[in-house]
Amino acid sequence: MEVEVSRRRFLGGTVAMTIFGGAAVSTGLLSGGEEKHNSSSPRIPKTVTTKTGTGEAEKVPFLCGMCVNKCAGYARVEDGIITKLDPNPHFPKSRNMLCPRGNAGIQTTYDPDRLKYPLIRVGERGSGKFKRISWEEAYDAILNGTDKFKGLKQILDEEKDNRATIGYCNGEGLSKEGFETLVGQKLGSPNYVDEVSICLETAGAGFFATLGVYPEIDFEHADYLIISGANRAEAIITPDTQDMFKHTKRRGIKKTVCIDPRFTNTAAKADKWLPVNPGTDLAFVLALTWVVFNENLQNEAFMKKYGVGYEEYKQHILSHKYTPEWAEPICGIKAKDIYTIAREFMQAEAPVYYPGRRSVFSPNDYQLRRAMAIFQALSGNIDKKGGYIYGNPIMLPPEYVNAPIYDQAKERFDTEGIAFPTLKSGSWIVFRNMVLEGKNPYPLRVMFMRKHNPMMSVPNSAKTAEFLKKMDLNVMIDILPSDTAMYADVILPEASYLERTSPVKAYGFLEPAVVMRKAAIKPLYETKEPEVIYKELAEKLAKPLFEISKKYDKDLQEQIKLRGEKKVFEEDGWNLADAWELPVYEKNKEIIEKAFGPKAWEILDEKGVYYPHMEEYFKQLNPNEYQYYPKSKKFYSTMGDKKRVVCKFDRLATRGIDPMPTWHDEWKFSVPEGKFRLITGRHAQFTQSGTTNNAMLRDLIPTNYLWINKRTAKKMGIEFGDKVEIKSEVGKGQLLAYPTEKIAPNQVFMLHGFGSQSEGLELAYGNGCNDAAIIKDDFEPVFGAAVMHSTNVEIRKV
Amino acid sequence: MARYGMALDYKNCINCKACEVACKEENGVLLGADKHRIWVGVNEVEGEWPLLDIVSSTFLPSQCQHCDNAPCQEVCPTHATYYDENGVVRVDSNKCILCSYCMNACPYDARYVDDRTMTVDKCTFCSDTRLARGETTTACQNTCPTKVRTFGDLDDPESEISILLKTREHFSLKSHLGTKPKLFYLT
Ligand code: SF4
Ligand code: SF4
Ligand code: SF4
Repeated sequence: MEVEVSRRRFLGGTVAMTIFGGAAVSTGLLSGGEEKHNSSSPRIPKTVTTKTGTGEAEKVPFLCGMCVNKCAGYARVEDGIITKLDPNPHFPKSRNMLCPRGNAGIQTTYDPDRLKYPLIRVGERGSGKFKRISWEEAYDAILNGTDKFKGLKQILDEEKDNRATIGYCNGEGLSKEGFETLVGQKLGSPNYVDEVSICLETAGAGFFATLGVYPEIDFEHADYLIISGANRAEAIITPDTQDMFKHTKRRGIKKTVCIDPRFTNTAAKADKWLPVNPGTDLAFVLALTWVVFNENLQNEAFMKKYGVGYEEYKQHILSHKYTPEWAEPICGIKAKDIYTIAREFMQAEAPVYYPGRRSVFSPNDYQLRRAMAIFQALSGNIDKKGGYIYGNPIMLPPEYVNAPIYDQAKERFDTEGIAFPTLKSGSWIVFRNMVLEGKNPYPLRVMFMRKHNPMMSVPNSAKTAEFLKKMDLNVMIDILPSDTAMYADVILPEASYLERTSPVKAYGFLEPAVVMRKAAIKPLYETKEPEVIYKELAEKLAKPLFEISKKYDKDLQEQIKLRGEKKVFEEDGWNLADAWELPVYEKNKEIIEKAFGPKAWEILDEKGVYYPHMEEYFKQLNPNEYQYYPKSKKFYSTMGDKKRVVCKFDRLATRGIDPMPTWHDEWKFSVPEGKFRLITGRHAQFTQSGTTNNAMLRDLIPTNYLWINKRTAKKMGIEFGDKVEIKSEVGKGQLLAYPTEKIAPNQVFMLHGFGSQSEGLELAYGNGCNDAAIIKDDFEPVFGAAVMHSTNVEIRKV
Repeated sequence: MARYGMALDYKNCINCKACEVACKEENGVLLGADKHRIWVGVNEVEGEWPLLDIVSSTFLPSQCQHCDNAPCQEVCPTHATYYDENGVVRVDSNKCILCSYCMNACPYDARYVDDRTMTVDKCTFCSDTRLARGETTTACQNTCPTKVRTFGDLDDPESEISILLKTREHFSLKSHLGTKPKLFYLT
């Protein structure tokens, strides 16, 4: 067997080559801090990594906050310092693992570049010039402004209490809901944008509309897998990543077909890799469907029973002649392969077309997800072992927020060019662009932001910068001085996930459980838990803003006349801080005891995980495997006859959207001669822009390289490590080249999340290229979600 | 007293490097590309786009093989390298003179210089951290998402690793050298 085992070969020949020496990162990083700690403060380690000791240690259950998965872990705390994060075996979803980012979480908490105390802007927006202030001064500046910017009080007075003048955005995480409570419900802003419209909106919605679920996959019993537009080896999703790769390479899953323009680590684990033209997967799925109908391979009884508009869909596919021969020139996958895959899929016992996730790649993404869901249903392999799992939700009691009703607040406006605007999270691109183009029906003057970095996540950063500059007041709550934080007027430093107890969360599906994150250490420096910040800010703002409402709000005036001011203030939710009466930990206790009893709370408090019958069901099977639920108790089939497969969705047609997945030729892939299609993606060692300043992860992936086809690169005189400029119609940047055969001659790829421009981030600053600065701000027509793979670029060696 | 070894279900490996980070955090390993105790050997896929040979693309997790017949121990002039009571190949930093004979002798390239302790260091099977605390898994095994690794006592016929080696085909690296590695790759 010929295998590569040499450390030197490994280091020399791949992109893992580090661009700075070990010593440079391992010394001094944490010693330069100006912070003096008094003895009661939590401590910080002296070196980047700390060898764990053999003496006394605390073991605190936490939930990882490095990405969206929230794996369960135990923090090892020795003498006030977190020395190690270990997986916590009790959580069925994370299956006793922490990925590289999860392990490197310590470096996020002890990052010397952390936001350590409240800051107020003293220079121009974006200049990065801030001054340290106290928390009280920070809250005061938000309310009353300074000579550099206006405060909330003045702005709301000028806008006659139209709360919609406030916009807000938030990234994914366990304290997100509280922020929505604060700015959305309590302050009354309808203008919310978040990661959904720059992430998996169409995937989630497409599957929901079609099957009523965005399913979990039972990889343990699946025996045929098509995985497209999803890179589970590098974009880790639990438990899919763990489960899938134990069964690929014909160890359960007899054939794995990977559809991806790029040869990823997932492709490396497949049996067949088919490089699809970016944005044309829909043609591939329609052709698979055509083969099935043409040869009558579908589970007809299943579809007859559960299909909605099934016969029409069949006719639609057949009459449009979506043959493999038709699809081949569009998607670049051979007709012969399409026939084979369609037949094998339908003959398999437990075939799975993986639902995918991640970004919206093309304008047809919603239709693609619908077509995938229907194709899966044609096999009948849904709501059962080895297929798509609906599972069982585990319910926590609903929470009631006493939100005031603002009579003057207008509705959200980001609807232009969208068929079905989502009321909840809107469309980042449409929201931002309408403001820039002056199309908002009333002024948008404030942005409250938290743990969100639109400068690096929303396509066309130049526009985002302009948008943020237009505001009268920008407030940012975060842990690091991100590129977006540079545009804030007031920055409030938050405790990192290892320093805070977070609201409990329930996970459903095959093996449901409730989980809780507990603080491993006290908040470092002057940082505070997000819920504490929400409460204190609410306390500060409540009375003064109530005065403004009293001025303009007729309903409120009337109520006060009828019932008296004090009563109205307390009873109708104008006391903004009343949503945070209990600290998070106490509230968790209340919720869990109410839902499952005191014993459940005891278990959750100790182990960080709870589910009914856990004490009886949970056991270790061998050094690597645990049983969470016995097989007979797992929720493989839960829907019975409630299942629906919506092939034809008539409501879509009322707003000009195809009620059945249909191909349009304007979606064809084309790149002008001499240009390249830019595709982006993830790596197992990074989570978007949030981790690029993490010393450990930076050590693994020093920068984002530009993947360019080897032969193309040779023609252009580009070699490994050469600096190249990448340029689109909206922006440009520079990064190092990685010539490889893993990508097509007319495409280039770069990792998302690099190229920070914030000087406050020592390791991330100026490292690599920010894809959001290059990607055009195209959006898809159904929800206005950002399209990530439609930008053509020019490349030149510099 | 035990004879520790590790079995690797290497086909599960996705080259995520969780093991590498866990090792560094557990054992206080320095950062820097040449300071790994553990790594994944990568064979870049062969062929030209779009005809790539998937089978040529492999991820092979590797680290010190804890040879029963360790060339590094043989060449060490100061006996800094030794077998501990569990058959783990260890280095005594007080005795190491940085002559680097062991680095050259090791056929698996498993050794590197730790600039802090000025010792030629390597994987210890977490002997002075986890095992010393009575834990039964190594940091790399415990954290691995796809459960590539099984660590255990080869002398205990009931141990999971013994059962795996009895029931599954496996190979060792460079077995022709007679080093008798205690890392086993399951096929
Ligand atoms: S997948 Fe990794 S980063 Fe994400 S929650 Fe789990 S351990 Fe943390
Ligand atoms: S943690 Fe496991 S899957 Fe990840 S690189 Fe290490 S051995 Fe491979
Ligand atoms: S056994 Fe311990 S020391 Fe050796 S590679 Fe694994 S984690 Fe590192």
